[in-house]
This record gives sequence, C-alpha cells and structure tokens, in this order.
Amino acid sequence: MSARSPADGEERLILAMGGGGFTMEPTNPLLDDFVLSLTPAKEPRVLFLPTASGDTTAQINAFQARFADRLCVPEHLSLFRLADAKRPLAATVSSQDIIYVGGGSMRNLLAIWKAHGLDRLLLGAWRNGTVLAGLSAGAMCWFQGGVTRSSGPPEPMPGLGLLDGSLTVHADGEPERLPVWLASVRDGTLPGGWALDDGVGLLFAGRQLQRVVSSRPGAGAQRVDAIAGELVRHRLDPELLGDGPHGPLGGTDDAVEELRRVNRLRRGIGGGRG
Amino acid sequence: MERDSSLLDDYVLSLTDSPRPRICFLPTASGDADHYVVRFYRRFSASCEASHVSLFRRDQGAGGVEDDLATHLLAQDLIYVGGGNVVSMLGAWRAHGLDEILRKAWRKGVVLCGPSAGSLCWFEEALSAFHGAPRGVPGLGLLPYSNCVHYDAEPERRVEYHRFVGDGMRAGFAVEDGVALHFRRTRLQRVVSSRRDGSAYRVEPADDGVVETRLKAAYLGADAQAPPSPAASSAPGSRRRRIARRTTAHKAAATRPAGPEPLPA
Repeated sequence: MSARSPADGEERLILAMGGGGFTMEPTNPLLDDFVLSLTPAKEPRVLFLPTASGDTTAQINAFQARFADRLCVPEHLSLFRLADAKRPLAATVSSQDIIYVGGGSMRNLLAIWKAHGLDRLLLGAWRNGTVLAGLSAGAMCWFQGGVTRSSGPPEPMPGLGLLDGSLTVHADGEPERLPVWLASVRDGTLPGGWALDDGVGLLFAGRQLQRVVSSRPGAGAQRVDAIAGELVRHRLDPELLGDGPHGPLGGTDDAVEELRRVNRLRRGIGGGRG
Repeated sequence: MERDSSLLDDYVLSLTDSPRPRICFLPTASGDADHYVVRFYRRFSASCEASHVSLFRRDQGAGGVEDDLATHLLAQDLIYVGGGNVVSMLGAWRAHGLDEILRKAWRKGVVLCGPSAGSLCWFEEALSAFHGAPRGVPGLGLLPYSNCVHYDAEPERRVEYHRFVGDGMRAGFAVEDGVALHFRRTRLQRVVSSRRDGSAYRVEPADDGVVETRLKAAYLGADAQAPPSPAASSAPGSRRRRIARRTTAHKAAATRPAGPEPLPA
C-alpha cells in the first residue's frame, strides 16, 4: 500500500505452515492472525494464490470467510480465470503486503507459476519485503525441496529455493509422507530440513529460522539432517499462539476494534471482495 | 460440450469409427473444475467408455485414472480437452509429461479435440487474452499454424489477431464460437459448425497488414444439406480479401474451406 524500498535480508519474512490456516482450521484463526501481524501495514493487502488446488471455489470462499471482516484488503488471483483479472500479474503481485499460498499439488503449483512467470514475480516481491506465507504445497514451495503427493504416492521434488533446506508437511495428519522425506534426506536426494505437524509454522527472517509457532497444543516440529549417512533429529517446541506472553495478538485496543467495525461496515458484513 | 447442442460432440465421435468409443476428458485448463467433469460424464457416459484425468486430485485418489497415464491415454479413441486457461494447462501438462503423451497419441491416431484452450493447445502458436493484454503462447505445435478462438464473441479478438499476425505470428486460423476446424494430419479437412451461420477465417500476413479469408462452415444440424466433400469444397470462386492492420469491420463473401498447404507429419 505504500511505496516500497528493497527490504534488508532480515526483513524478508516467510511463514511456512505444515498445515492449518483458513482452509484447514475454519474455527481457529490463530495462524492467519499471526500472518496479518507480520506486516507493519495497518490494513495490509493480502493476496491469496489458490493455484495448487486448481483455484477451487472452496479455497477461495474459505479465504474470504476468514479475511473479509478482518483489518486487511483481501484479494485472490486465479491463474485459471485470468480473463477476470483486472490488472497485469506483475502489478497485482507487487502491490501486496502479504502473499498467502494455499495447499494442493506442489508439482502443478510450481509448473503453472513458471508458465506464467509468477515464480520470478514472487522472488521479486520477497526481496522487496512482501511477507510470503503458505501451507502444505504453499509452504514447501519456498524451500530447496519438499515431498509431494502430486502424482499419488509421496515423492521428493525441488522447490523454488528461497529458503535453504527441505520441508515436509502434515507430519501427523499424513504419516505416509514422513518416511519418504527421511529416506530422501538420508540418501541426499533432499537436503536436511524440517518436518512439521499440522498447525505448526516456521517463521524465517531472511534465510534464518526466527520462530516456531503453533495454533494447536501438542503439535510439533523437528529438524533433521543427514550426518555421515545417519539421520540426526532434533525436536523443536513451538510456541503456542493466542494467549501466551509471546503471542502476537495480545489485547486489541479500542481503536483497532473501531477500525475493524468500520471496515466491516464498508465492505458489508461477510461481504466478498472489497 | 456446448450446453444447447451436441452437434459438435456427435461429429467428433463420428470420427472415431468406433460404435462405443473410449473417450478421456482432460479438464486441466479449468483447474479440474468438478462441474465440468460432471458435464462431461452427462454428455458422454451413455454412448462411450468415458474417463477423465485430473492432475489436481491425484493425491486424494480422486484423479479419475489412477494407473499409468500414458497407457491409458494411448488406448483411447478420443481425447477431449476442456476449455480454460491455456498457459496454466500447458504448464501442468508438461509437469506431468502429458505433452509428450499427447504427441504420441496423435501420431498413433487417437482423435484429439477440444474447445477454446482445448483448441489452442494443438497449434504452434496461440493468441490468448490475459487481463486485457493479449499475447502469443507457444502450444504443442502439432499443427504448424496459429489459432485464435471466440472470434465473434469477443470483438477485440479480430483486431488483436490481425495485429499479431501482421507483427510476425505465423499464419493461422480464427474460429467463431460453435465452429470447429477438422484437421487430418496437419491439413484442414473440413470446417463444421453447430450454428447455421458460423465461420472460420484463414489469416495470413501481407505486405501492408494481413489477408483474411472466410471459410464458411458446414452446418451440422438435422436439416443441413449433405456436407460437401473436401474436393467439392475447394471449388474455384474463393475470394481473398486484403485487410489492413487494425481493421475491425469485415465482410468476406466467399468460402475457401481447403487447408493452406499439405504438410504431412
């Protein structure tokens, strides 16, 4: 919403979620509110990319249901219905404070982005300080590699490489993925990295892991590396979002509540795009 | 899969020489939209061995065909590609190796068809409109021409296509809604239509713009006259009309149904 200057490395934020957010936690807004808190913008522009799902209406509706009455300007970009788009891709991508990528097929996601040149635009947005967030395929895509079920059985595949290491998601929800990832890390097909349960997010500042957060008690994460052919695993304890002392939400003051009310009125309660 | 007419679907089924054709639907360009898959089965499952491939649902065991895609597609009589966004579709196809499989299927004699993005994809170049900015998109290149669709439905398409061909896009075919180009190998055999007044157009570069030649389509409806054979339809009397760049008004009287040049694959 404001003119951007190229962000320093540490101001480049990526939140990678193993699962969670509005598509998977319709009654739990903790991760999505955390995403909104990552930008200094008072009323951030949030662009949702549902590409990995084939732009399903279900994902787009869930996005609007979560963000339409929050203090932000939500918008989605469908690469299957570009005839509806009002602006060129580059203008749409470069004008956001947050870009949020949904789950689905990682293989299709990256291939379709590449076909439209969106991979380059997203790299540019990250460099300019736009917060990148995503879950599942929309989280693994930022790393050097991940484990996808795009063709059925889980298999390793390369990502965009903005972040070092590899990522595997739904470690608790889809247990068949984890062994494939561990084997890929052990044999060097994928670099070492992180395995995330549903509800857990890794926040990177630049290429450095800054925080491990969670929307669910009990959800976990681990760091795994192959050292001399052996897997070395470290458990990470996520900070639970919401009411803890480290939570980003804290108490909202009256002014923010007032702004939210005005915002809701302006768009119409539960309304669609602004 | 026009909502109000099955004439084009019936026509393409007739090209398979099979009493109960095996037909596979690729809804990739729509993002594998459920309603489109349902529409396909409603139209074809009674008369065909119908299946579909979803490249977005394979992780959920809901991808239609789950075994080897190549084996399945090469065993079809007809592959039907749905409309949507051609760039997204080609990207996803390449990621799953479908581009090579479809080339093989074509060489093997599987009939390939589709509307809109499902037409553009077979050509060397396609004119695709994006958020107001048209651009040339490389297709699979089975047909060594360019292609422009929705020629009547979106008036700016003609201006844009003329400009692109005038500026170096290869010569090709523009097609109105309801009209289909039937190629055998790389040669245009027939132009058919589910509408009485449908037309396609051959558009070629010329010194000061482009030449657009109208190709009158044969109406496929029940009261249609017997379709002209390809030989008869290349009768003399074809007239070409030179069209300057960026001209929108167009009236061309004559027909020229035969293909531009035979280029056996």
